[in-house]
Amino acid sequence: MTEGVFPVDIGPQYEGEVIRKTDMRIEFGGPNVRSKFELVAIKEPAEIVHEKVEVVGPDIAEFPEESSQPIALLVEIGGSRLEKDIEPVLERRLHLYLNYIEGVYHMNQRQDIWIRLRKDSFNKGLNSLKILGDMLIFLYSSEIDIIEKIQVTFITDGSKVEELLPRAMQVYGARDEKARGLREADVEEFYSCALCQSFAPTHICCITPERIANCGAINWFDGKAAYQLDPEGPIQAVKKGEILDAVRGEYTGANQLALEKSMGAYNKVYLHSAFAYPHTSCGCFQAICFYIPEVDAFGIVHRDFEGDTVIGAPFTTLAGDTSGGRQVEGFLGIALEYLRSPSFLKADGGWYRIVWMPQIIKELFRDACPMDLYDKIATENDVHNVEELVEFLDRVEHPWVKGEIKLPV
Amino acid sequence: MSVTIAVAGKGGVGKTAISAILVDFLSGKGTVLAVDADPSTNLNEALGIDLVSTVGKTREKMTDEIKGGRLTMAASKQEILDARIHESLVETPRFDLLAMGRPEGPGCYCAANHMIRFSIDKLAKSYDYIVMDCEAGLEHISRQTTKDIDFLLAVTDPTMRGLNTAIRLQKLAGEMRTNIKVGVLLVVNRLRNGLPPEIKEAVAKSELGLFATIPEDPYISDLDIKGKPLITLPLDSPFRRAVQEILFRLKIK
Ligand SMILES: Nc1ncnc2c1ncn2[C@@H]1O[C@H](COP(=O)(O)OP(=O)(O)O)[C@@H](O)[C@H]1O
Ligand code: SF4
Ligand SMILES: [Mg+2]
Repeated sequence: MTEGVFPVDIGPQYEGEVIRKTDMRIEFGGPNVRSKFELVAIKEPAEIVHEKVEVVGPDIAEFPEESSQPIALLVEIGGSRLEKDIEPVLERRLHLYLNYIEGVYHMNQRQDIWIRLRKDSFNKGLNSLKILGDMLIFLYSSEIDIIEKIQVTFITDGSKVEELLPRAMQVYGARDEKARGLREADVEEFYSCALCQSFAPTHICCITPERIANCGAINWFDGKAAYQLDPEGPIQAVKKGEILDAVRGEYTGANQLALEKSMGAYNKVYLHSAFAYPHTSCGCFQAICFYIPEVDAFGIVHRDFEGDTVIGAPFTTLAGDTSGGRQVEGFLGIALEYLRSPSFLKADGGWYRIVWMPQIIKELFRDACPMDLYDKIATENDVHNVEELVEFLDRVEHPWVKGEIKLPV
Repeated sequence: MSVTIAVAGKGGVGKTAISAILVDFLSGKGTVLAVDADPSTNLNEALGIDLVSTVGKTREKMTDEIKGGRLTMAASKQEILDARIHESLVETPRFDLLAMGRPEGPGCYCAANHMIRFSIDKLAKSYDYIVMDCEAGLEHISRQTTKDIDFLLAVTDPTMRGLNTAIRLQKLAGEMRTNIKVGVLLVVNRLRNGLPPEIKEAVAKSELGLFATIPEDPYISDLDIKGKPLITLPLDSPFRRAVQEILFRLKIK
């Protein structure tokens, strides 16, 4: 099959096209439709009828103009060198390829997809999902040569889409589980963000699968996507390099990044410790881990917490001590989501080194807190100053204070 | 290439009214994106449509979801935001409207604003005309788009305070990351008997030349009394004619 046989043009120049509601012939999915999803599955080549396109339910021309309809878009792919792992990557290509097609626009992913077809492309002959399927097959096959067989199915019958949706959700869930399991050891690249340098010139965020950026807005996957979208932008890829200290999270790549982007102020960074060479804190962190010398442990306070922390100072005061793009021992600006990282303050004892946090944060992050510890972390409802904290920790037999926790070496 | 007109000035001088009529005219010529970049969000009322959401609400919702760890890791936030901003568009047959909503509260919005800029720049590219109803501080423009502006209409009523705000806009515009291609153009609205001599003198002293004037329009008061949207202003009303004249002089015919 060649490009010339299609009724409309294909190319990256169509990528940014927005299709206005009045210009659209039809939309599949989107905010007005409940039943929708897309899924790419790797199958045994024998299970696939190469280049077959099937439409289950009415086709485009049978639907009223400007209407919103349900859709399931299933792409099954086979190839001796293709592994299950690559499914999400190939699924993301749907977004790219559909947007390459003149007069077609695709947004979102998974169970949130939103596809529009413009009237003029419909009038030019793109009037059937069969043709759209052929175009997808052409794009997949010509761009990815390890694909040996591929078939596409569109389902526009809402009840059938609903029937299949739970299975797709299971697949998505399993993928997310896997993504959460991604570790620094599994990747070659970290990402850096320099957006906050405008007011903290020595600050650079180093974003890894185990360390979300301070502001909480950019995790490793966001970093990867942002870098791909805008390779010249503020978010850059960083070679991880050699691991120098597995406990503290020290990498040659992160050290090099700190040196280059802090204007020479820092040349060493521990990604998972608040001591010695902690990650710099700009001003954007969602929360602060602060050291409480009297108990040799940490408190956590988030930006929305009103009133004083257990050490007598409110968030704003502590933020002043922490921010500015500096490495401040014992003060670490973090994203709240970092509490869910398996490497959260790993070198310093992790969750077991935490003795105080606001009630709301404790509740929100209950899933991340070791079960035996939950009742032993004090909140603003339990204690009001360090004296009361010491008493509380003794009474509940906090494992860190009792000396039961060994730091990793 | 799209043409972008921003309308700015002190509160109450007629920015929203002018923006609405600009949108109305331009939607007869091509595709129009109306951007309500004033936190008081009332361009939709002047255009006679309801708002679904605002970029501000989208941003806050996403910030909450980030805090609660409720966003999937597999979709990039940029992409989620692209789609949600598109969802908050009000799409009408003649034009689309995007309301920016309230500015951010305390906290960090570097990443959020960066992503919003990216989404809005991308969205705006596909329209022939973009009309932005702004507030005097131009906050939203400086934070949430990097798009070039072709014309900035600095609107005032015949008062010194309004005029001073308009004059300040020129300085402010020079400090923004956004490039203003053609320039800042002074429009004096609500004139009853021509330009008062004091205002005339102050304009002459400023670097802003007078670009256009718009008369006080009794039809508008009539609509205001009846609570009808401004876009229903009769075709032969003096206000409409004056706004059309502005477009004509901007060489948008
Ligand atoms: N030329 C005019 N003649 C009569 N009324 C006007 C005129 N221009 C604006 N108005 C009215 O003045 C009020 C404020 O205008 P508006 O466009 O909402 O100002 P802004 O957006 O600058 O705050 C509105 O009630 C509007 O209808
Ligand atoms: S805190 Fe967020 S916006 Fe600031 S540098 Fe880090 S990732 Fe970028
Ligand atoms: Mg207004």
